Amino acid sequence: MIWLSWRLQRTETLVALGILGLLTAWLLPTGLDMWHAYYHDGLAGCLSTAGPGTACGGAVGLFRARFGGIDNLATWFNLVPGLIGVMLALPLVSELENGTYRLGWTQSVTRRRWLLARLVLPIVVALLAAGGLIALFSWWRGPLGHLDGRLDNGTFDTTGVVMVGYTLFALGLALALGAVWRRTAASVAVSFAVYIAARLMVDSKLRDHLVSAVSATWKGRPPASFENAKVLNLVATIHGHRVLSGGGFTGGGVKLQAPNLNRAVIHAVYQPESHFWPLQFTETAMFCGVALLLIAFAAWRVLRSD
Amino acid sequence: MSMALETRGLGRRYGSQWALRDCTLEIPRGSVTALVGPNGAGKTTLLRLAVGLTRPSAGSVHVLGLDPHADAAEALPRVGFLAQEHPLYGAFTVEEMLRVGRKLNPGWDDEAARDRIAGLDVPLKKKVRSLSGGQRAQVALTLALAKRPELLLLDEPVASLDPLARREFMQSVLAAVAERELTVVLSSHILADLERVCDHLVILTAGRTQLAGSIEEIVASHRLLTGPRDEAEDVARAHDVVRESHAERQTTLLVRANGHVYDSRWTVHDLDLEEIVLAYLGQGATPRREVVAS
Repeated sequence: MIWLSWRLQRTETLVALGILGLLTAWLLPTGLDMWHAYYHDGLAGCLSTAGPGTACGGAVGLFRARFGGIDNLATWFNLVPGLIGVMLALPLVSELENGTYRLGWTQSVTRRRWLLARLVLPIVVALLAAGGLIALFSWWRGPLGHLDGRLDNGTFDTTGVVMVGYTLFALGLALALGAVWRRTAASVAVSFAVYIAARLMVDSKLRDHLVSAVSATWKGRPPASFENAKVLNLVATIHGHRVLSGGGFTGGGVKLQAPNLNRAVIHAVYQPESHFWPLQFTETAMFCGVALLLIAFAAWRVLRSD
Repeated sequence: MSMALETRGLGRRYGSQWALRDCTLEIPRGSVTALVGPNGAGKTTLLRLAVGLTRPSAGSVHVLGLDPHADAAEALPRVGFLAQEHPLYGAFTVEEMLRVGRKLNPGWDDEAARDRIAGLDVPLKKKVRSLSGGQRAQVALTLALAKRPELLLLDEPVASLDPLARREFMQSVLAAVAERELTVVLSSHILADLERVCDHLVILTAGRTQLAGSIEEIVASHRLLTGPRDEAEDVARAHDVVRESHAERQTTLLVRANGHVYDSRWTVHDLDLEEIVLAYLGQGATPRREVVAS
């Protein structure tokens, strides 16, 4: 049964490998460039020796001017786990659509065993693909992570472990919709759209609140945890007058710049960089949990169908 | 010994529509049974219930004494099934399809499968989707036979085939039956496809069993009676009237006779199987009675 399951999703697995290969071919040169520039243009040294508050402005500016464009392009990487996840659901959904599952169900294996093999294999391939993507993107983005911290969405989405959750989520969505509709094209299109919508919502609304943020008030030197933090809200006041407010990132070199800021009382709510892993694990668990529910639902639908 | 296929009050409903209703029949082992009825009569539903693809809404079904659902692990290896559309994986080669059969069936007879394919002149390396309809049907049949089932269920196996492929397919089925102990149930909406190979007959119309029994017994028991109109009711009391037509003074009755028909006032004609089947199919959607025999 494992052989059949593999044979039926061989094409999709190879396409997933192909996507990984293409991405690697594309990212390898720029990644090597970036790491080279990072170490040889003095940025690494500046960031490691300079304490919080000191600016490596010049080096950072140069680095950004050179590689910032690529980083913006990298938003598109968010589509990759969705693409791979949805694609890995194709073999099973198209079997439900064209009726060949009846062939499987009238051999000597029970439906449960048939379904188990048909679900475990895409899940395993999804996990492996997600692992590959994580390794690739983490390496590639490494220097930018040192620059801005890892909490901006672009880095957060492509490093750590969240991609595992995203890939499984897309797989679960397509399986669940496919089990209900039994129409491959519609299931793929809608699950991909839902994947993007869910990701946008989590990225923009939910993520900052998955782990409770740090709230701090200071005058003069900011607390150490403020370095590379993701600022959800910040208000600077001088004698009760607001002189600055907003949010953003406090990565290396990009410092709060405002007149007389040293005299201001600053109140900030932020996610310190130390929350990176708690945030990653919470979000991964969330997406994996939903994915497992969707896959269980799909399994239930398929098993009781006739 | 349990029947090859046995149903009791079996029914299957889709929404408010009964695809099969109150179906009670017994198909003995070793028989080759034609399951005949118009399109939409419930033939496919009955066969799917028998192989466990569908669950009953009412009643029960047993194959070889087993519940196809509860005892699936035990029943599946012993029942072969060929769905109407001959589902196969189009992207697989014939050889890979045989490998599917080998991997998924512990009782798989690989040598017999390869011999059959070789005998059919189907190239092993060819993709399934590039085969002709007749070749596909034969590959699908090979898959169903090589698992060495005791009961083989074929749903409209020749409906999509041209006359030559039909004949070859039915010859393959006959050869398989001759080779070893095998019970076969085949469905069709055309009796002519099945008549030569079958010894039992089940007629389904509108989701109900109209007639079930051995062809020999069915042919022997049905008679066409012509006689005085005013005595038709006496006949109906003694025999099951399948179809009646009245002229001004004379009545023609097609009956399933319970015992012998002697009456000097009625002329008695024998019937061939096709006439009998047509009479039952003509009863259409509102059956007056159900006749069940084994």
